Amino acid sequence: MNTHIVSQKSRIKLKESLMVIMLVAPALIIFTTFVVIPVIQAGYYSFFKWKGLGPLNDFRGIENFVRAFKHPVFITALMNNLKIVFLSLFLQLPTAFLLALLIGRKGFFGSMVFRGLYFFPYVLAEIVVGIIWKFIYDPQYGIPTFFARLFKGGDIQIGLLGNLDYAFTAIFIVIFWKYIGFHMILYIAGLQGVPKELEDAAVIDGANKFQVVLYVIIPSMWSAIIISVFLSVIGSFNVFDIVWAMGQGGPVHSTETLVTYLYNFGFKRFAFGYGSAIAIIIFFLCLIFNIFYQKYVVAEK
Amino acid sequence: MNNLGRRKRIDFTDLYRFSIGLIAGIIMFFPIYLTVVGGFKSKGQIFINPFGLPNPVSLEAYEAILIRGQAYWTFLFNSVVVVAGVLLLILTFSMTAGFAISRLSFRGNVLLYNFFIMGMLFPLTVAILPLYLQMKSLNLLGSRAGVILAEAAFNYPLSIFIFTGFFKEIPRDLQDACYIDGGGPLMFFYRILVPLSRPVIATVSIIVFIMSWNQFLLPLLVLSDSGTFTIPLGVMQFQGQFTTGWNFIMAFITISILPMAVFYFTLQRQIVSGLTSGALKG
Repeated sequence: MNTHIVSQKSRIKLKESLMVIMLVAPALIIFTTFVVIPVIQAGYYSFFKWKGLGPLNDFRGIENFVRAFKHPVFITALMNNLKIVFLSLFLQLPTAFLLALLIGRKGFFGSMVFRGLYFFPYVLAEIVVGIIWKFIYDPQYGIPTFFARLFKGGDIQIGLLGNLDYAFTAIFIVIFWKYIGFHMILYIAGLQGVPKELEDAAVIDGANKFQVVLYVIIPSMWSAIIISVFLSVIGSFNVFDIVWAMGQGGPVHSTETLVTYLYNFGFKRFAFGYGSAIAIIIFFLCLIFNIFYQKYVVAEK
Repeated sequence: MNNLGRRKRIDFTDLYRFSIGLIAGIIMFFPIYLTVVGGFKSKGQIFINPFGLPNPVSLEAYEAILIRGQAYWTFLFNSVVVVAGVLLLILTFSMTAGFAISRLSFRGNVLLYNFFIMGMLFPLTVAILPLYLQMKSLNLLGSRAGVILAEAAFNYPLSIFIFTGFFKEIPRDLQDACYIDGGGPLMFFYRILVPLSRPVIATVSIIVFIMSWNQFLLPLLVLSDSGTFTIPLGVMQFQGQFTTGWNFIMAFITISILPMAVFYFTLQRQIVSGLTSGALKG
């Protein structure tokens, strides 16, 4: 009698666990096959010299990593990523914040239309955006050429993307343009959480506008700023499409980023070991930032 | 009197905000404007007048792309197939997985949840080289199915995170009531949970749609024959071929972003809040 109940119970259990397996298996299998295993493999391959074919037996230890840091193009790529991080944090995000302050208030006439306009580039494919801006910078038809002809006259051609000194700046302008609306929207969402009474109280206490922003608004929307900074930094380390569309890292590798470097020097040359080492470096840069950020910024809140 | 003066001042700051907002709006929208008008110009017009309105309107580029050419329709078809496939894989299986993790008690469900969530730590770029070899060994190289599977795989962490979080909030009483009425867990899932999740399904769909529609790196890696190219790959290839015909490229880009623009401007509120809430949760 007792054993009968137990066996029925265990049958129900078995039926339930079968169901759980059926429910979870598809996502688990796809995720494991196309994300988890490749990530582990990247870690493993990074210690080998390997063309992706034949046996994986040319173990080189950390040689790939050392080689990367000795390669000037890799250093250029890394520096470009750091420049993008820096410029985003100190130019793009503050501008987005000012825009949010400007049009973010509820009931402000035109607010929704402006939000829609500023946010629109964010939903476009980076590759499409890159090509549009290639036209804007076109030496023959572009805006820089137009203004140069207007002010100086004559048949001048300004090709920013072909110029070693200006190509990076030209590309950063595109990144600035594409993502500013997204950060602005995050800040507008954050602004909704700023208590109006607190703002009024500060004004009554004699705070000027700048002080209100610095001591009332920014602290009250800190969590929106934290997220925006986080996404901006992680995104900056993974820039690829825009740079690819505008010159594939050229001229002469001057606009190379870590991911275009990975593509040009890893994938294109079938250097699967070396390329994996680059991928692992990108991953660790993001991870280190993530850990520091969680520990010192997010936890402080 | 006092009141009147105050109101005037507020109007003045609003006007000032509005003007700056408008200037910023014009700058932000100018590249899109250039693209749209560029497609309606002839080659000669682009040369003489790259920024103004087309005069006369030329349909040369559109005729070449939409009527005489095949490529655009192929790319559009491929994009639709890929996005639909990814949406299907994401919605069905991240909902079933999220349901099992949040509503059925089994050993290891926390571990399983963390296993998926950990995936958010890995940017796509970390895995692309081994992923390429994986695709090769599974015979998926060059196929849209390969792109669909890989895009779905990289989006499971976020979508499972969102669904699990939402399912957890649904009161236990509903589940008990369903069991008392003789329904099993699956009945509870598709009769109660799925209909209740409509807003979350919409959010996840928007995030996944935009990611997949715009994805470039994965298709670039997997696809090689232009007959299977999605729109972003197609645009890139197209601009490589017509290096001198900017009016053609602009027309091509305009019709490529048209589906996204229509989607965006009709559902703007939902899209903006969906994308930002996705970011806030992630």
